[in-house]
This record gives sequence, structure tokens and C-alpha cells, in this order.
Amino acid sequence: MLKVLLVDDDNEFTDVAYQIIEFLGHEVSVAGSLKEARQWLEHQQFDHILLDFMLPDGSGLHLIDELDLSTGKQTFITLITGHPSVKGMLAGLCGPNVNYLVKPLQREDIEEVLNRKSKKAVKKVSKALHFGCLIGESAPMQELYLMIERVAKTNANVMLMGESGVGKEVVAQAIHSASQCEGPLIATNCGALSKELIGSELFGHEKGAFTGAVGRKDGVFERAENGTLFLDEVTEMPLDMQPNLLRVLESKRVTRVGGTKEIDVNCRVVSATNRSVNELAESKVLREDVYFRLAVFPIDIPSLRQRKDDIPLLAEAFLNELNEENGTSFAWSKPQLTRLTDYDWPGNVRELRHAVHRAFIMSDPESSTIDLPSSFASPFASNSTSSNQISAGQTIENVEKELIRATLEKVNGSKTLAAEMLGISTKTLYNRLHAYGDFEE
Amino acid sequence: MTIERNQNNDIRTLVHDARGPLNRISMNAELVKLVLENDLPREKAVDALSKIIAACQDCSDKLQMISDSQKDNNH
Repeated sequence: MLKVLLVDDDNEFTDVAYQIIEFLGHEVSVAGSLKEARQWLEHQQFDHILLDFMLPDGSGLHLIDELDLSTGKQTFITLITGHPSVKGMLAGLCGPNVNYLVKPLQREDIEEVLNRKSKKAVKKVSKALHFGCLIGESAPMQELYLMIERVAKTNANVMLMGESGVGKEVVAQAIHSASQCEGPLIATNCGALSKELIGSELFGHEKGAFTGAVGRKDGVFERAENGTLFLDEVTEMPLDMQPNLLRVLESKRVTRVGGTKEIDVNCRVVSATNRSVNELAESKVLREDVYFRLAVFPIDIPSLRQRKDDIPLLAEAFLNELNEENGTSFAWSKPQLTRLTDYDWPGNVRELRHAVHRAFIMSDPESSTIDLPSSFASPFASNSTSSNQISAGQTIENVEKELIRATLEKVNGSKTLAAEMLGISTKTLYNRLHAYGDFEE
Repeated sequence: MTIERNQNNDIRTLVHDARGPLNRISMNAELVKLVLENDLPREKAVDALSKIIAACQDCSDKLQMISDSQKDNNH
């Protein structure tokens, strides 16, 4: 992030330029005259000054002279001019730290002068981001964006459901950003807290409430005031703590552990679980009344294999990030992207990100070719695949079909081997395949 | 010779002035793009578009001034 001083007397231009530069991730201060610019420079140092050539109280060139004398730190200056003819005049001035732009400006011009190193990559990533954090253009993601947009306008509690690694916290961040609420996003993992501490974490405690409570502590509900509270792995919350949570959700008031006073709280609760609705109903890990309070608006986040079209986009984005951080210029080849797309990624986006990171570490930093490992499989991947394939509520026919499909895949389509593995005759296998129709060649 | 130079300077100043609204149009259009690409609040885009429309009118007035000054010079 750069500290940028924008000096121009055209208020409308500075208004819009301010928003754009801020969006590009920089801190901006604005001055409408040389006098105001001098005032800023008295108190602060800037990395970059965007300076109008003609100001009401003199030429921007005066400021450049003064800067040479007053600052020890290297400040980059971009003169903005409406006169292309000034170009020639400025050529003599254009040392390594001074350049110029001619109006009308474009965002790309500003990006280029502010971020001379990696402008292309930055642009690519920022273009692909939805709600400032989500990547993907596939149909399931478009549906998700629509839901985020709709629910962000309300204050309804949201329950995010999806497999592990699909990016539930990122979606919570997207809902928070799209809500444009004043307060912060506070995240807590209900599965990571001990039974004894969860009450204190959620609702806070008073000094001396229990051994070790040496001071007063605000709970996450209080800390998320006017913002969003993200309760990850909410189904891991002990059942006996859930009535307390229900009370807060219903009354919008908390009582700190060891306290007597009720405190008003106002935040949207976004909770997350990797269990499906069926699992929730069967396993009884979440009280029904709590579920209905939390899941006013349930959102199913698609797994990565349900949005394979997004894999190249994600892989590019992750690699760009690593390139930017490390000053490298690795790029994917088409066959590599095809390989990434062909894999099922049972660990979802998290697994893909880690695979890209692993490949990045293993690649020769002097080259621009990235080396993918021969196999992406991880010990957890196979577990999650098998547990996801069979879940309560599926018909026996579907499970059988899935089993036959997976077995055939494993033995590269050999029906004899598949029948042997399944413990049935080849004839029976053929009959089953014929009955399903889908597998017919 | 001096009159001609003054006329040229006047035109240059008018052209310079016309770049002001053009610059506002360009930057506000960039803002609309940002809003659409990043799902930012719609109001920002509507506001930027209103500014573009106003700047178009401003630019048109300034171009008219250039045209008028040319006519005056010819007379």
C-alpha cells in the first residue's frame, strides 16, 4: 500500500480519482492547491504525489523544487497535465522519480504509475474477484453471488453449508463486505473451543467470574457490534451451550459469564458447517430451534468438482499471488491446467491452493515453468471422497450405481476386474450396467 | 504575427479546458467499470453516470467555445 497525495483543483476529478486509487489499495490524501499540498507535506511523507501542472496558486513544478529540499525520503511524482505540449518541457525534468500523465486519464494509467512492478497481475486478479474476495465465473458461483447480493441487503442470519475447504469463511467475508455494515467481521471457531471456555468466548466474562478471569472480557457478540459474527463449525458447539446461544439469537441480548447485566447486541450471525441438512437432522448435533434461528437463509456452497470451469481461474489467481509475493513469473501451461481441471479435488479450493503452493515450492525459481507433482492425492482426500459418496437419504440403487462407477474408474473400465472387485459375476455387472443405461458404451 | 500567436495560445487554452470534463468522463467511466466488475453498491455507478452526463454537456459547451473562437478569428 502506498501513501498517495493527489493535488488537483478539479474537485470532481479528485473525488473520483480518490475512490479509484483507494480501491487499488492505496491510502490517499487530497489537496486542491499548492498551499494545501504544502500543509500535507509538512506533516506527512508520501510515497507518490499525483500533481496537477496548473494549480490556482501556481505551477506544480514549484512543489517539486520544494520537495527536493524538504524530504529525504524518495517520493515519486507524476505530473498531470491537460497540455500534451508540456510533454517536451517535462522531458528534461523526468528523472527517475518524475513522470507525467496527460488528461484524460484512465485507471490503467494510474495503476501503471503507482504500481510500476506488477500492474498486469494486479489487474488480472482484481478483475476476477467478486465481492473483493471470491473467484469463479461458473453457473453455481453466479448463483452464489446472487444469493450473497440478496441476503447482504437484509439482516437475516445465514448458515453456510458445504464440504470442507469450499471457502465458507471467504463467503462470510463476502456477505460482510456486501452488507456495507459499520462494524467488523469477527470470526470464531466453535469446534476449537473447550466446553469450559466457549461461554466466555461467545458472551464474554466479568472479572473474577472464574479462576483465571483476571479482567473483564467482551464476547464475540459484543465485538461484532453492528457487523458480522462468523461462527465456524457451529455444529461442534456442545449441546448444553446451545440454549444460551438460542437466547441471545432470540433476545439480541447477552449476559457475560459471571455478570448480571444484559447487554444489547446487534450483529448478523453467519454460521458454517460441513454437514448436510440431512446429517444435521439425523445426527441431532444442533437443536432444531437453534438451526431455524441460524439458518434463516441457508446457502449451499458448491464443491470444486461442481464448478470445474473455475479451476483454471483459481489456479491462475493462486499462482499470481505467489508470483507477486516472491517476484517470480511462473505460468501454467495448457496441459497443466487440463490436469488440474481433471482432478476431483475432494479437499476443494483449500486442497487446490495447497497443491499450487507445493508445486510453486518445488519449481526452479530461475525458470518460468512450474512443475506439477505426478499425483495430487492426499491421505485426507480419499477419506473425504468415500464419506461424501454415501450419505443417509440416498437410494440403494443410487449407491449401487455410484459404487459400480467408482470401481470401473479404478480399474480403468475393465468389466472383468470390476466384477471381481465387486464380488459379482461379469454377467451380473453387464446386467446392472444395461439397467442403468448411463454406463453403456 | 503576434495576433496569430495570441490566437493559437487562446485555442490551446480552450483545448486544455476541454480536457477537464473529458478527464472527468474518463475517470467516472472507470469507476462505473470498477463497480460492475466488483459488485460494489449500484448507487456509486448511478452517481458516476450522472457526472458523466454533466461532463459531456460541459465538454460540448467548451467545444462550442472553440468553434466560436475560430469563427471570430476568421472574421
